[in-house]
Amino acid sequence: MNYKPGICTFCGTGCGHLLKVTNGQINGVFPSQNHPVSKGRLCVRGWNIHELLNTRARITTPLIKKNDKFEKATYDEAISYLIEKLLEYSDSTAKELGFLASPRSSNEENYLFMKLARAVFKNNNISLISDTGHRNSLNVLEKGTGMAGMLGSLEEISKCEFILVVGMDITELNPIIGSEIHLAAKRGATLVTIDRRKTEIAELSDKFLFVRPASGKLALSAFAKVLLEENLIDTDYLKKFTEGHSEYIELVKSLDYKDIITKTGCNIDDIKEIAREFGKAKSGMAFFPSGISGFDKDTISHIFNLFLLSGKIGREGCGVNPLTGINNLQGSCDMGIAPDLLTGFQRLNDNEILTKFSKYWNTELNPILGIPVYDMLYENIRGFSKAIVLVDFDEGVARGAHQMEKVEFIAYIGTYENEVTHLANVVLPTASYVECDGTFTNAERRVQLTEKKLEPKYDVLPAWKLYAKIAEKSGMKWNYESPSDIMKEIADLTPSYSGISYDKLRNSYGIQWPCDKDHPDGTRRIDIKNSKSKYKFAALTGKFKTPSGSEDFPYLLIIGRALDYWQKNNIMKHTFIPLREYNATLLLYPEGYIEISSEDAKELQVRDYSPVRVKSPYGVMETKAMVSDRVKPDTVYVPYFVQKMITEFLFQHREIMHYRELDVIPVKIIKV
Amino acid sequence: MYLIEKNRVLDIAVELRKDYDLFGPIIEPSTKQVFFDSIDEINEIRLSAPIPSNPPKLIFFPQMEKIISYKYDKVSKNVEIEPVFNERARALFGIRSCDLMGTQCLDRFFLGGEFVDEYYRNHRKKMFIVTNTCIKPFKQCLCVCTDSGPYAREGYDLNLTELGEYYLVEVGSEKGNALINRMSLKKAGKEHDNEKIKKINESIGLFDKIAVDSKAWISRVVNRVTTGLLEEEFWESIGKQCFECGACSFVCPSCSCFNIEDVRTDGSGHERFRCWDSCSYEGYSRMAGGHNPRKPIEDRRNKRFFCKLSYSQSKKYLRPGCVGCGRCAWVCPGDIGLPIVTESIRREFHKKADSYE
Repeated sequence: MNYKPGICTFCGTGCGHLLKVTNGQINGVFPSQNHPVSKGRLCVRGWNIHELLNTRARITTPLIKKNDKFEKATYDEAISYLIEKLLEYSDSTAKELGFLASPRSSNEENYLFMKLARAVFKNNNISLISDTGHRNSLNVLEKGTGMAGMLGSLEEISKCEFILVVGMDITELNPIIGSEIHLAAKRGATLVTIDRRKTEIAELSDKFLFVRPASGKLALSAFAKVLLEENLIDTDYLKKFTEGHSEYIELVKSLDYKDIITKTGCNIDDIKEIAREFGKAKSGMAFFPSGISGFDKDTISHIFNLFLLSGKIGREGCGVNPLTGINNLQGSCDMGIAPDLLTGFQRLNDNEILTKFSKYWNTELNPILGIPVYDMLYENIRGFSKAIVLVDFDEGVARGAHQMEKVEFIAYIGTYENEVTHLANVVLPTASYVECDGTFTNAERRVQLTEKKLEPKYDVLPAWKLYAKIAEKSGMKWNYESPSDIMKEIADLTPSYSGISYDKLRNSYGIQWPCDKDHPDGTRRIDIKNSKSKYKFAALTGKFKTPSGSEDFPYLLIIGRALDYWQKNNIMKHTFIPLREYNATLLLYPEGYIEISSEDAKELQVRDYSPVRVKSPYGVMETKAMVSDRVKPDTVYVPYFVQKMITEFLFQHREIMHYRELDVIPVKIIKV
Repeated sequence: MYLIEKNRVLDIAVELRKDYDLFGPIIEPSTKQVFFDSIDEINEIRLSAPIPSNPPKLIFFPQMEKIISYKYDKVSKNVEIEPVFNERARALFGIRSCDLMGTQCLDRFFLGGEFVDEYYRNHRKKMFIVTNTCIKPFKQCLCVCTDSGPYAREGYDLNLTELGEYYLVEVGSEKGNALINRMSLKKAGKEHDNEKIKKINESIGLFDKIAVDSKAWISRVVNRVTTGLLEEEFWESIGKQCFECGACSFVCPSCSCFNIEDVRTDGSGHERFRCWDSCSYEGYSRMAGGHNPRKPIEDRRNKRFFCKLSYSQSKKYLRPGCVGCGRCAWVCPGDIGLPIVTESIRREFHKKADSYE
């Protein structure tokens, strides 16, 4: 029997699979029929994971850069060098050293990396290489309900009557969750998509609200307005389980339908119909992207408030569900990869918490909140990063590879060959995830164990052993015999993980946290029956700024980052078939493209592949037109994956761009 | 024909093991999923386990197979090529008839044309096949709709049918005969043959009650698919639901698409792999220069069902392309497995016919 069960580590769905292990290699993959989330399905990435796991493009030996050239070194030599240099940069002000962790690392690895930074180097400047977009979702949900994670359960999608997909190309990003939603719709659930671009899920929806850029939250507020006007609110639920609704209701009531129609570009009857169905449904779930293409705090708050108003939080088949696009993004947040958090969303500046960790780790900890590492790279105000420890850098999510060139000392820790390694001063290889035990937490808080399948292919250490070695050489001996011991420690220090252990995880399909004395088998979803306090409505800015074009710059340019992450993703480069599929459009439009609706194309007199010049108040670029009806008239779309477009055009806009996906640039388009 | 006691049937596997690497139905202990995979201990074999989740084609047409390793020396312009041929013969013990039919389709694809696939031939020619009659169907089965079961009629070395306390053992080839002669088995009589027929009829009779997931009236749609008398909108609606994952091709016992991938090993060496590919992928049919005869997703879905159901394709396989195993139905994220699409085609036609009244 060559097939060994495991977890797919591409996206945040965390599908179950079995890997074929023969001749010390991964030679095949097969889906897990009985897995509660994936139920025997996999996507194009999951079905070809053996290509990635079989790649020879691995970092095979530690390296130290001497006179601009890399020289092979032993782990001992490289670690000593690393410690020597890091101590130079870690003084008490600690504004010069940063730690960038990877959202792909296992929980155990990220926990030890965090412990290394905080306990050994007394440094709190630890961030994820991907954006902190997911923190926005977690902050809103935690403030509102106490749960810093998805409120609903993926298994309950089949029980949900009304599914709302907000601004997410879900069938491309988390295909199997998209599949669950599609199947629920086939069985009778109402599926509604709100997006500024017509995605695949929009085509599969019962109703698609094709909104103008940045007007999504206005549409959501419009739903709330209809619910209030037509008495579709469960006032009992509101009174018993929630508090703080008056501001939200006031804001919603103050909206004007004429304004809504103009700003969203939608038909008022469509909005009212959808709102009515939503109000009448007994259960509802919202899905939206969280992470690199995630929303701002205000939009997430609007989603949360709408669902809370309609009584669709804390019941069966209900939930506000931010979906993580990367396998262990949720787990990384759980493991305290943030300048202000310890594990389980425990605050660093809580004296009691800090003391607990200090005692357990047997060392004084730095109580001053850290600085987000990306701030350190870009702004000189908060301290400029002179040294960085980088784990598994991924060009698909990380920004600022060129900023890295200004950093004096870079230590790179990773498994696969990478375009950024040449910038490093010291390189330390780690084993791949099939070469050691590890747990990963998916979008629905499910902590799943994937066990070691084979010995490390090269003479490399698993990351957890490497971090322990670095700690030891710095004078701190950690006594872990295996990743299972690390999880024991995590459980001891983290209330939401306290009931989790490898014994429980083995031969199971994972455990959803919170898992503690009250919930020994984990928690599927948040439940009104168990809530210790009322759910709080989120504070809103009350602003609905929707950009519009001007006479000089009549079109609104929107940027797509989400899907294009998979095209630039470092690990995707080491596959054949997934890379071929994700590159499909790039091969057709090697210089990039700008998607223009057929109506606009006619006006501009351009056809597919016509060269066009795109001009904004800040910059200009030349590219090819792609005529498609996936964008509304007056909106144009540019994908993020073409290097030239990013460095030349979008770079010129870096001063005004804060929220990538939400950024809208007014442009004019000239046929060349 | 011979008889072997039910509790001794695995002796055949023991005998096979002397000369072959043994493969058979096995249950993965942690997930309880049924696989058709290599057997380390004879008592792991579960002959009456439900239809394996993986198609046995995995054994002689692996998902990832190294076919050559080569070194190219730029200076001397010298190439050293080393083909990789798996040496030991393999025995498939307890394969179901639908999977055997799929194997025969693959035989015609890889061996029956102008070019013979050396790697496939190497696996296949030494293979020993023991089929197992399905005395009852499983939820996903539809072999009665595709003329591929519930029992094997030819192409096996030995065929087993469970008859109460005994297994009936039918010999289908010289190889099978030679193996049986090494074991001292009781000869079976006409009454056992009749019992077998009875069992098969009982099995067919159970389809209505048990095989509820995937019933499909294939013969009715062969005509429609062959002549192409289906509206574009129909294929577009199917295409919209396709998640382009490739699963249907991977689990299908008669699908044969593959890709060739060269991987650099250390130094100047390279290895060439043959990996499964799928016609549901956009890149599969894309050619140098960018032309793609099947770029829109609906064209790719159309092609798949043509491959499995059309008369023209059946002529190549000498039987329908679909073998009724039901696997595509449970792996499809879009819920457009063959059975459900077949039903949709029928409904389309009834709708059209009704509209003429």
